Amino acid sequence: MSQPALYERLVFKNASVYHYLKIYLILDNDDRKINAVYFKQMIISALRDLYGEIGAAFPFDVLKFEEDTLTAVLRVYNSGLVKLWTALTLLGSYQSEPCAVHVTQVSPFLLALSGNSRELELD
Amino acid sequence: MFTNLEKCPRNLLVCEKSSLLNDKSRHATHVAKHFFNYKVSVLIPECGITPSGLKSVFNSFSKYYLLRNLPVYKLLEEEFLEKVVKKGSLYALSYKTRIDQDNTFALLPSGQVILSVDKDTYEELGLEGKASQYNHRQPMRYVVTLDMTDKSLAPGGKRYKRVMWALQEKVQLTSDFLMARYSIGGNGEDLLQSIFSQYSCRELRPSMSTQSLRDLLCPSLDPTDLHGDSRSCDPLQFLEWLGAVTMDMSCNNEASSFVSTYCCPEPQSSASQALLCTAVGLLLPEDIHSLLEELRRYFDEPRFTSWLSVTVHGFADSPVSWGATEHGFHKGGENFYTFVLFKNQDYWLHMATGTNDGCPP
Repeated sequence: MSQPALYERLVFKNASVYHYLKIYLILDNDDRKINAVYFKQMIISALRDLYGEIGAAFPFDVLKFEEDTLTAVLRVYNSGLVKLWTALTLLGSYQSEPCAVHVTQVSPFLLALSGNSRELELD
Repeated sequence: MFTNLEKCPRNLLVCEKSSLLNDKSRHATHVAKHFFNYKVSVLIPECGITPSGLKSVFNSFSKYYLLRNLPVYKLLEEEFLEKVVKKGSLYALSYKTRIDQDNTFALLPSGQVILSVDKDTYEELGLEGKASQYNHRQPMRYVVTLDMTDKSLAPGGKRYKRVMWALQEKVQLTSDFLMARYSIGGNGEDLLQSIFSQYSCRELRPSMSTQSLRDLLCPSLDPTDLHGDSRSCDPLQFLEWLGAVTMDMSCNNEASSFVSTYCCPEPQSSASQALLCTAVGLLLPEDIHSLLEELRRYFDEPRFTSWLSVTVHGFADSPVSWGATEHGFHKGGENFYTFVLFKNQDYWLHMATGTNDGCPP
């Protein structure tokens, strides 16, 4: 059998290049259906409205979008986090109907979004 | 233009590599010192059905209690201290209190009571404490630590009386509490119930769920290459992948795809199936430890996979993370650790914390 591994310790400070956001969309009209492509397009136009063509030109990913609950997980480079967050906060309408976006969790680790203790409901 | 807006608050990831066979391995201490665990998830690649040993460990997880409107001084009463706290392994954490806005309380198994309170409550209480480390300019939050094992706080003493007076008469702090006690025999629970019989006390079990994942891409990991130079992916990519798999995200996107460009990190291999078991509740470090011991034995028989992972999430609103290190929320309050166990009993341990938190041990 091979020798047990030698002890090694690495510390990464601010090593994550991304931030992840868990959000959900509230639509005024419950019957309206929206898919991941339209959802991303909606966020891109919100960014463009707020920061203009150049300011909004940064990449982000919609890692997951659930059509029935309208929840999504986004991934964005650290440098774009504040812009994306502000655009989401100020997003107020989708196809001329009122809507809002709630940011439920933000973390530099995607894994952290899979366990949110604030969601623990025991009642 | 907006250069300040492009900066992000600090976060830390500490990765350790060692072997479970190593006498000086600190994995057990790291587990024992992470007191308040909210969720554990085990991922075993190339596994179709839950191994019976794993199932029984999950089923033997300790019960915990939800106590409604419990006054904080009840945790300091002589009877409770003598019968329960001093015997050890008692964990209590206020429930549905947010550390960035509410008063939050915790009782650590070491016998320390931690009151993390806002400025007004602190001033009314008149107890000795420290300003929170994570205040912004003006201190708005204070932390009072009462070490009940300390002689100066012995029941009947001057300091003890003052504390009881502050908590009973000055400000009656109350909160809902999650409470659990680890005991091998199992009579500890009845004791808790009898002491708190006049309060609404509900017995709860950690809720379990099992999920089978099909046809997924897994990163290849080599126990000797923690840094991820060539034979493994780097730790951050691995944790990102683990998050993606746990939340059932697609890991096989084209680089030109509009919606998401996320891909499983290289080097990778495909697995026909994987098993994901999770438990949610107030989980005790002792139980996490027995889970690890059980998973060690998973490799006693020949297996298709060379590794498996265990992730433990801490409570985001707990006043401590590891040991008595102060913990705050900032943007997400994340504090979690992931073990990757290998066939040859080597392991990696990744410990991560967010902004308002000390460095993991």
